[in-house]
Amino acid sequence: MDLPAGIRNFTYAQDMAIFRTRWQWMMLVVFILALFCAPLLLNNYWLGIANLIGISIIAATGLNILIGYCGQLSLGHAGFIAVGAYAYAIMVSRFEWPFLAAMIFAGVVAGLTGLLFGIPSVRVKGFYLAISTIAAHFIIIWVINQWSSLTGGYNGMGVPVANLFGVSFAGQKNQFYLIFAITVLVIFAAKNIARTRLGRAFVAVRDNDLAAEVMGINLFRYKLLAFFIGCFLAGIAGSLMANWIGYLNAENFTLNESILYIGMIIIGGLGTTLGPILGVVFIRLLQEGVNSISPLVEGWIPALPSGFTAGLGPMVFGLVIVLFLILEPRGLAHRWNLFKASYRLWPFSY
Amino acid sequence: MGATGKLKKISLVLASLLIMVTPLLVSGCGQAEASLKVGLSIPFTGPAAEKGRPMGDGVLDCIKYINEELGGVEGIPIEVVWRDTQYDSARAANFVNEFMDKGCLFFTTCASKEMAASMEIANRNDFPGFTVFSSPVCIHPPEHIYAQMPDYGDSWAAFAKYYMENIWEGTGKPRMALHLLNNPTGSGASDAAKALADELGIEIVATEEHAATTLSEIESLSRIKAANPDVLFISSTPQPTSIILKNARELGITPGVTVGCGHASFTQALIDLSGSAAEGVYGVFPTVNWGDDVEAMEKMTEYCLEYHPDDYGNMDYITCWAEGLIIAEILRLAVEHVGVDNIDQLTPQIVEEYGFKMLDNFDPGGLHGPVSYSAGDNRMAKAVRVFQVNGGAMVPQTGWVDAPAILYEDFDWFGQ
Repeated sequence: MDLPAGIRNFTYAQDMAIFRTRWQWMMLVVFILALFCAPLLLNNYWLGIANLIGISIIAATGLNILIGYCGQLSLGHAGFIAVGAYAYAIMVSRFEWPFLAAMIFAGVVAGLTGLLFGIPSVRVKGFYLAISTIAAHFIIIWVINQWSSLTGGYNGMGVPVANLFGVSFAGQKNQFYLIFAITVLVIFAAKNIARTRLGRAFVAVRDNDLAAEVMGINLFRYKLLAFFIGCFLAGIAGSLMANWIGYLNAENFTLNESILYIGMIIIGGLGTTLGPILGVVFIRLLQEGVNSISPLVEGWIPALPSGFTAGLGPMVFGLVIVLFLILEPRGLAHRWNLFKASYRLWPFSY
Repeated sequence: MGATGKLKKISLVLASLLIMVTPLLVSGCGQAEASLKVGLSIPFTGPAAEKGRPMGDGVLDCIKYINEELGGVEGIPIEVVWRDTQYDSARAANFVNEFMDKGCLFFTTCASKEMAASMEIANRNDFPGFTVFSSPVCIHPPEHIYAQMPDYGDSWAAFAKYYMENIWEGTGKPRMALHLLNNPTGSGASDAAKALADELGIEIVATEEHAATTLSEIESLSRIKAANPDVLFISSTPQPTSIILKNARELGITPGVTVGCGHASFTQALIDLSGSAAEGVYGVFPTVNWGDDVEAMEKMTEYCLEYHPDDYGNMDYITCWAEGLIIAEILRLAVEHVGVDNIDQLTPQIVEEYGFKMLDNFDPGGLHGPVSYSAGDNRMAKAVRVFQVNGGAMVPQTGWVDAPAILYEDFDWFGQ
């Protein structure tokens, strides 16, 4: 039986490779092929869910860099996504910028906004920082609502369909390819950030900022860099969200969304590249499962008054989050690693 | 092989089976009975559940009544695909995709926020729908989205017209102050005031905003008092409106200044929350009240008391019972066009052309004004009634008053 009991690395490059075996490369190719073929198999609704998952992965990856790697608690992530969404929408609708330029601009504007609100992180941390980022959320939403000449205010604003090299991204299918191409790039970048000096500096700041400073890490620089990168990705997610939804209103970006993103990275596993992916997929699919089951349950039990099962969603979410916090606080990524380790060692028990 | 190995093999086999069987379960088995599918987005839970719950109950009870007692539409049952949006825009937007995938002929939403999130995808796909409560942005410019009732701007227009014709006795222009909820409920009224105030001869002297969670509006009302208005118009929901009314009483603004409310707040809940501060307040509402002598009242009351007694007295239930009747009428017109034996030919486009656009003075059991389509105006019902709170009850002051159509798209500032 050809089962590896371990992989020997002969060079530093081999040791640092993300995909180290032929089997892993094969799995990657199969996975990419499956992603490529997904639009042929999925209907618009499921493509819509997949697109939302892709967008959420980008945003959650940004938040994971900020919280999971650098330890800077932010409860204003939906606000930064809103900045990106509006920056993108304004550039494409008012100034007719091309998609790519507007998207990168949206990321930079959101990143700079993050820098601004990240400044207090130098002096405060933990709950105090969380409160200051909540304030950021409310300030951003207030500005969006009041600056009606630019943002449409409470009425919101329409977003023209994105075009790239003559391809229109109006339908879910085309958007799927766009969103997942960007998602893959973002995950790749996040993975590499975590493995560089920058990522290790983030981790040092997270684990003990005093010790990190003594070791020569400039706390001000690295904390703000984490805010910039996290919010830049939020801005990229916002621009894709703007194109996906087609009509922006500040009510789309609630504090609940920010909390949901934190729930996603906790369930997925803080401080891992895989965590945000698993957390987002889990939460979004759970939402769909509950949504599909609620009306079916009413169909199966006609004696129930209509709308009776509407409370199922909040109950399941509450239960899942509590169970995760109790049973697997290190998240799905840790569980996945245990699963992989057990298969790698099989049939040996250790 | 040990027990662990067996367990792993079994778990792998089970996981593979689950993956293979899931699509079958999702797609269902066997030939489905012919039905007319309609998608409903309802904020059953989440921050708008206070309104969404009775609204959802109302429309689902009405469809149940139509299917079980009237035999559906021309003998064909209405199949409802309802989804709880949790008042979340992303979910509302993607549900439109699901409704289209599942072969729904059109869709509805309860709130303007849900429709604002859904309308771009629907319009891009020529997929018609209507929203029960709406703000001007949902139907201006008119495309494939319709409004069941007059919008928040219409509330202002109808009240302002009534005020000028029946209450204002001074000389010159009356001075009006606006107190607006910080969302489309408020901005809808503000847009209408911008568009029509000059034409109606009203001067807007103060505009204040409040949040849905406000606890005190003493400060904003003090500014309004300083502007010395003759009339105050509030476009909000019941809870914040009740706070504004109580604070206005404390500051001595009322009695003296006439107060009018838009339809999002003017329900029994407002009177219950405001107590004596609501006395004498005017308001507009697009439906009748519970207990009124109209055709649909008896059956609606019977269903409400049997299935959702907690909703009794809630105007939102009435609004959405009427929604159910309008859904059935749109489908009836479309089925009539293609013939009962050819319902497989029905498409969303046919339903829009021969259902929505053929609505002509349809009476939703007397629950609200007649429903018609007129080109360029996607409001289906255009009439409201003006009420005044008297002795703790809402007393109608008018019959159905048509709210004038406002062509917002003609104004440079609209959408800016």
